[in-house]
Amino acid sequence: MTDILEARKLTKRFGGLTAVSELSFAVREREILGLIGPNGAGKSTTFNIIAGAYRADSGEISFLREPIAGLPPHEIARRGVMRTFQHNLPFEGMSVLENVLVGAHTRFGGNLFSRKAAAEEREQHAHAERLVEFVGLGELRYASVDRLSFGQGRLLEIARALAGAPKLILFDEPAAGLTRAEAQRIATVIRGIAERGIAVLLIEHDMHFLLPLAHRVVVLNFGAKIAEGTPDEVRSHPAVLDAYLGHAAAV
Amino acid sequence: MRSALGWVAAAVLLSAVAFFLSGYYNDVYRKLLLWIALALSYNFLFGISGQVAFSHFAFYGIGAYAVVIFLFQLGMPLPLAILAGVLVCSAIALIVAIPSTRLEGFYLALATLALAQLFIVVLNEGGAVTGGTGGLVNYRLPAIFGVYITGPWYTAVIVILVLGTYALLRHLDRSWFGRACRAVRDNPEAAAAMGVNVARTKVIAFTLTSVLAGIAGMVYAFVDNTVNPPIFGLENAFLLLFMVIIGGSGRHAGAIVGAVLLYLLPFVLSPLIGHHHALVFGALMVVVILLQPRGLIGLYDRYPRGQKAH
Ligand SMILES: Nc1ncnc2c1ncn2[C@@H]1O[C@H](COP(=O)(O)OP(=O)(O)OP(=O)(O)O)[C@@H](O)[C@H]1O
Ligand SMILES: [Mg+2]
Repeated sequence: MTDILEARKLTKRFGGLTAVSELSFAVREREILGLIGPNGAGKSTTFNIIAGAYRADSGEISFLREPIAGLPPHEIARRGVMRTFQHNLPFEGMSVLENVLVGAHTRFGGNLFSRKAAAEEREQHAHAERLVEFVGLGELRYASVDRLSFGQGRLLEIARALAGAPKLILFDEPAAGLTRAEAQRIATVIRGIAERGIAVLLIEHDMHFLLPLAHRVVVLNFGAKIAEGTPDEVRSHPAVLDAYLGHAAAV
Repeated sequence: MRSALGWVAAAVLLSAVAFFLSGYYNDVYRKLLLWIALALSYNFLFGISGQVAFSHFAFYGIGAYAVVIFLFQLGMPLPLAILAGVLVCSAIALIVAIPSTRLEGFYLALATLALAQLFIVVLNEGGAVTGGTGGLVNYRLPAIFGVYITGPWYTAVIVILVLGTYALLRHLDRSWFGRACRAVRDNPEAAAAMGVNVARTKVIAFTLTSVLAGIAGMVYAFVDNTVNPPIFGLENAFLLLFMVIIGGSGRHAGAIVGAVLLYLLPFVLSPLIGHHHALVFGALMVVVILLQPRGLIGLYDRYPRGQKAH
């Protein structure tokens, strides 16, 4: 399988703190790659660098063999990398369906007044409806987003990111703060996304959630990669057990 | 097809009103229509794209002065004068918007406040070009294909301006562009992650709505057949803001309700409290913000009428 995203020697410092240090890894086509590590390990920072929200101090990122490091977030989205936010960031003044349609922004050709524009709008509308259905928010499609629970907001984030027809989708702790049932629902949705042929980069610090889901796992601690492999390899890796010792409950 | 018929019917009806109004009421009606046009475009700028700008009424003035100067000081034919006016408004809007939309929203507020003030200074100091403090007078709309459009017929032109502004903004609001504007307003970080070029969206919304204000100003120039500095002062910029907030920010219907209410209120209030209606507006504004932040149109929404897309 070929790599869809490749990060090489990413380093990011905040003042004296090195949040990400010489980190290299690759996401392969159609896989769910887990990025795991204790609190403060640098997972979100890595994620924000890929999505263009932060700029790495050094290192390179290529997506579909083209360099993307340093591009603004909207350019990275346009190339097919969509993301969700660790703390849901919906568009408050819009309905569920409209939120999802904003996710489809890059799918519009730029027409506003032609016959084609009307057809495009109808097509994206229908697609957005299907995505809202897919994540299980069909009943709430016209609801204002402030009526959603936290878990439903998470599902909305996912539908919105999918609307951009991503080739790679980035999830930052999608199960955090959810009930067990809600987390199960998210896991099912993420499996469904991978089955559609979309590569997934999944950040998580809860191993119980991640290990059954991921095809491969990269383990971070203090910004550096300490292990990489299948969930089974990683589970028994001494460095991982070490890093998680203080977090025994998580393992 | 049916919607096209609807627009024509609206144009005919709204224009027909003018033929039943005497000179004074026709003038009131024309100004009311112009305020509606301005409130609609300001609502798109402030309410939908979320940009706090105080230049909207200044662009109305820039459009009005520009068309008069191009027509009568430079002797351009009408179509060229209109085009030149649009170009001037676009250029000024871009000069203000490009640097300030890259910064915090606060800077756009400052830059547009400065523009509004500078505009008045330029008008007053403009010598023969702007007519100084007295403005420009004694001109009339040139004949179009040999016909002078006057009286209720000119009111029909204003009706077309209002409906055209409304149709355009409504169409944009329901398109990917309108959604991008609202996404940028609600959460720029998430909007960017969805592929929206935040700075560009703001610049386009600012320029487009400023040009619409300019075009409304061009139409206004032949309502009173005079343009002078006091009309375009800052208080009218704030009045627009009040109209949109009191009516219901982000909603076309809200802008219309706000414009109608605040334009007509002084006619009712003046006999009672003279020229202190600014106080009433201020009080109304506070009440609305505290009790119904969605504006008067939000009160109407409270009555449930089944599921709605918006
Ligand atoms: N914008 C920032 N400014 C300064 N320091 C930051 C910033 N963002 C992250 N950090 C620091 O960088 C380190 C890595 O943070 P990061 O958010 O990437 O961790 P994480 O692995 O996502 O942790 P968590 O599991 O808690 O979400 C932490 O020490 C954090 O305090
Ligand atoms: Mg994090």
